Amino acid sequence: MSTPAAASARPPGFSGSPVRWLLGKIGGGMFVLWAVATAIFFGIRMIPGDPAEAIMGGPGSQASAQALAAARAQYGLDQPLYRQYFGQLWHLATGDLGTSYSLKTPVAQVLGELIPPTLTLAVLALLVAWAMALLLAVLSTRSGALGSALGSGLEIVSAAVPHFWLASVLIMVFSTMLGWLPPVSTNTPAGLVLPVITLALPLAGFLGQVMRDTLMEAQRSAFALSARARGESEVGVLLRHSLRHAALPAIALSGWAIGSLLSGAVVVESIFARPGLGRALLTAVTSRDIPMVTGVALISAAAYVVIMALSELAERLADPRIGAS
Amino acid sequence: MTLARPLATKLFPAATALAAALVLAGCTPATTTSDSGSPVTGGTLVYASGDAEPSCLDPHVGGNYPQALVASQYLETLYTKDADGKLIPWLAEDSTVSEDGLTRTVKIRGGISFTDGTALDAAAVKANFEHLLNPSTASSTGYLALGKIASMNAVDATTLELKLKAPDNSLLESFSMPWVAIESPTALARSQAENCAAPVGTGPFKVESWKKQDSVKLVRNAGYVLPDPKAGHAGTAYLDAITWRFIPEAATRYAALQAGEVQIIDNAQPDAIAAAEKNTAIKHLDAPRPGASNRIELNSSKAPFNDVKVREAFIHAVNVNASIDSLFFGTATRSYSPLSSVEPLAYSEESLFGYNPAKAGELLDAAGWGQRDSAGYRVKDGTRLSLTFPVSTSQSIPAEQSLFEQMQATAKESGIEIKIKLLDLSSWYGELFTNNYNLVSAPYTKVGPGVLSILFHSDSTVPAPSGYFANLSQVKDPSLDALLNTAGSTKDEAQRKDLYGQAQKKVLEGYYLLPLYNQQNHFLYSAKLKNVGATTAVATPTFFDTWLGN
Repeated sequence: MSTPAAASARPPGFSGSPVRWLLGKIGGGMFVLWAVATAIFFGIRMIPGDPAEAIMGGPGSQASAQALAAARAQYGLDQPLYRQYFGQLWHLATGDLGTSYSLKTPVAQVLGELIPPTLTLAVLALLVAWAMALLLAVLSTRSGALGSALGSGLEIVSAAVPHFWLASVLIMVFSTMLGWLPPVSTNTPAGLVLPVITLALPLAGFLGQVMRDTLMEAQRSAFALSARARGESEVGVLLRHSLRHAALPAIALSGWAIGSLLSGAVVVESIFARPGLGRALLTAVTSRDIPMVTGVALISAAAYVVIMALSELAERLADPRIGAS
Repeated sequence: MTLARPLATKLFPAATALAAALVLAGCTPATTTSDSGSPVTGGTLVYASGDAEPSCLDPHVGGNYPQALVASQYLETLYTKDADGKLIPWLAEDSTVSEDGLTRTVKIRGGISFTDGTALDAAAVKANFEHLLNPSTASSTGYLALGKIASMNAVDATTLELKLKAPDNSLLESFSMPWVAIESPTALARSQAENCAAPVGTGPFKVESWKKQDSVKLVRNAGYVLPDPKAGHAGTAYLDAITWRFIPEAATRYAALQAGEVQIIDNAQPDAIAAAEKNTAIKHLDAPRPGASNRIELNSSKAPFNDVKVREAFIHAVNVNASIDSLFFGTATRSYSPLSSVEPLAYSEESLFGYNPAKAGELLDAAGWGQRDSAGYRVKDGTRLSLTFPVSTSQSIPAEQSLFEQMQATAKESGIEIKIKLLDLSSWYGELFTNNYNLVSAPYTKVGPGVLSILFHSDSTVPAPSGYFANLSQVKDPSLDALLNTAGSTKDEAQRKDLYGQAQKKVLEGYYLLPLYNQQNHFLYSAKLKNVGATTAVATPTFFDTWLGN
C-alpha cells in the first residue's frame, strides 16, 4: 500500500493501488471494445453491399425474394436499426460472437483456430524486431559518427519499406533464386522465417531509431559518466544502465507496434498464404460478413488493450520512477 | 481455335501433342496426351488455386468457379463433353424428349455408387434437383439452369421423367456443369454445414478433410467406376491423393510451383506463362472457359450509349489489339464474338471492330458531340462525353486492368472520357444494381449458346430480388427476344445454330459489346505431372488419368 513518502513521489493523476489501476484498465478496455463494436456496426452498414446477400452466398447471388427474406429474418436484419444495435451489444456482452455469414460456423470457433497462427507470427516478429533494433542501436553507438549515420540511414529505409514489396523481394531472393526457404508459409521454423522477417524489419526500423537516440543520450549522461568513473567497463555501463533507459520508449512503442503488426499481418498472411486473423479479416470485409468483421475487430481491440496494459506494467518495472504502490 | 497455335510452336515436343488435343473444347477424362512411359500409381498432387477459398465445397450452394474447380475432382455430372467438345452422356446413359418438348426422359446408368454406399439411381438424381431448386440451398447457378423444370418423377430405378414449363434445348448442356453435379441423397439429407464440409459424390476422388484457410484433402475413391469405359484407363485413379491449397498472391503461387512445393497452379498470369515457356520443367494448359467471351458491355439504357452512333464511335476509338499484344505476351487471342471460342455455335464478325479514330470522330460529330471543352473532351449541351467504368479487382487480372487504362488513354484522343473505378466485388455489384455504369466487363461461364438468352434477352434486364441482372448492355429488342426464344426451344439442331448465329450478328452489329478475348483459364504445371489436359465441360481440369512421374 502507499506510504506518504511514496505518495509524494508519484506523478500526478496516478491512482495508488494496483487493484485500482487494474480496475481502471479493465474499465478503459470495456470502453474501447464498446467503441470498436459501435464503429464497426455503423461503419460496415455504410459501405454498399447487402448483408443478406452475403448470407446467401455472396453478392450477385440470384437468391429468390423468399430466400432473402428468410435470411434477413433469421439473422435479425429486418429489425429496426436501434434494435439490431442493442441486440448486438447484448450478444457481445454475453460472449456470443454470432455465426459467420459466409462460413456458416460460429465466429468464436473460427477465431479460435486463427488466433494461434497470427499470435505466433506477431510475437515472433516483435521479438525479432526488438533484437534487430537493439543490435543496430548498440552497434551504431559503438562505431562513432559514421556508424551512427549508417545506422540511422538503415533504420529509416527499413521503416519506410512497404510489407508487400519486402515480401515479394524476399520470396524472389530466398525462395526462387537461392531456394533456401519455402515461398508459402507453414508452421515449421523454415516456413516462419520469411513472414516474420517481413513483419519485423519495418518495425525494427522504428524501434531502432527510438532506441538509438535514447541510448546515445544515456551513454552521454551524468550517471554513465559516474559509472565509468567508478571503473565500470563500457559493456557494463551499456548493459546495466543505458539499456534500461533505451528500453523505455521501445516498450511504450510496442503497444503501438501491436496495431501495426496486426495490419501488417493482413498483407503478410495474404502473400505467404498463411492462415490467420489478417487474411480472415480481408475476406470478411470483402464479402460483407458482419459477424466475422466484428469478431476480428474486437479481438484486435482486446489484444491492443491487454498489450498496452502489459507494456505499462513493463515500463513501471524498468523505471521505478513511474508510479508506485 | 487459334489460342494454342502460337503457343504450340513454342512448346516442347512432348507437349505439342498435348496442346493439339487441348485445342479442342473441354475434354473429358479421355487420355489426351502422348506422355510416354507407363503410369505410376501413387503420390499426392498438390494443387494451388489463386481463387478465393469457397465457403462451401458443395457447388449446389451458391455456384462459382472456385467451387467447380475443386468439386470436379469428387463429383460427376449427368452429361459431359468429350475430347472433341461434343456433349456425351456420363452418369446418364441416354435421354429423349417428347414431340412437344415438354417432357424429357433421362436414363440413369446402373452399377455406380456414391462413396458412402448409396446407389446412383433416378431417385437420387431427383433428390439432387430438388436440393438445387430448394430456396434454402441458396443455389444461384444450378437453380437458374433448372429453371424450366415444372415437376420430376422417378418412373423406375433408372428412369427419371422431367416435365418442363417450356421447351428447353439447353437442358443437357446445363446437366454438364459441376453446379448441377450429382451428390449422394443420403449426404444431402444432412445439415448444410455438414454437407458443405464434405460433399459425397461418385468421382475418382473423395473429400477426406477440409482445414479452412489451409487446404482441402482429397483421397482416391477406391470404388470408382468410370461411367464410359472407353473414356479412360480401367480401374481407379493413379494418384493417391490431392491436396487443394489456396495461394491468393500470383507471385507466391508461381514461386511455389518453381520450388516444387505444388505441382499445378491455376490463374496463371501472362508474365508467369511467358516465363514458364523458357522453363522445360514447367508446362502450360490453356483451357478457355465456355459461355460468353470476355467482353466489355455498353450500357444502352442511358446516355450517351443510348445512341448507337456513340457506341460504334467508342468501339472504333479504342485499340484493343495493340493492348493485347503488349500486355498479354501472346497468351490471349482477340475475340470478335459474344461467345467463347470453345462454343461450336460461336459467330464472330471481325470487320466491325477495327481501330479507326477518324471514323469515331465522324460518328461523334454526327451524333452532336462536335464541340470540345478545355480539357479536350467532347461536349454536347454542356455535358461532357464521360463514361463510368466500374472494374472488379477480383475479376479483372492486372493485365486486364492495364488494358482498360490504355483504352482510357486512347479514348481521350477521340475526346471520350473514361472514369475507371477499381472496386471490390460487393461494391462493384452495388454500382451495377443501381445502374451506375456505362461500361462494364462481367464474365459469364455457362455451357452452350443458351448463355446468349441470359445476356441479351430483355427478360434479363428485370432484376432478381437481390438486385442482380445479367443483361448488362440492357438490350431490349423484341426481334432479338423472338430469335432467342425460338433458338432456345427448337429441336432442330441446324435451326438452333442458324438462329443463335443471327442473334449474335444482331448483338454485334448493334455495337452493344466490345469482345476482347476468351475468358482466360491458364494452368501451369510441373513436367513431372503426366497426362494432364482432361477437363470438364466448364474447362476445369480433372486428374483421373494423371500420374506423378519423377
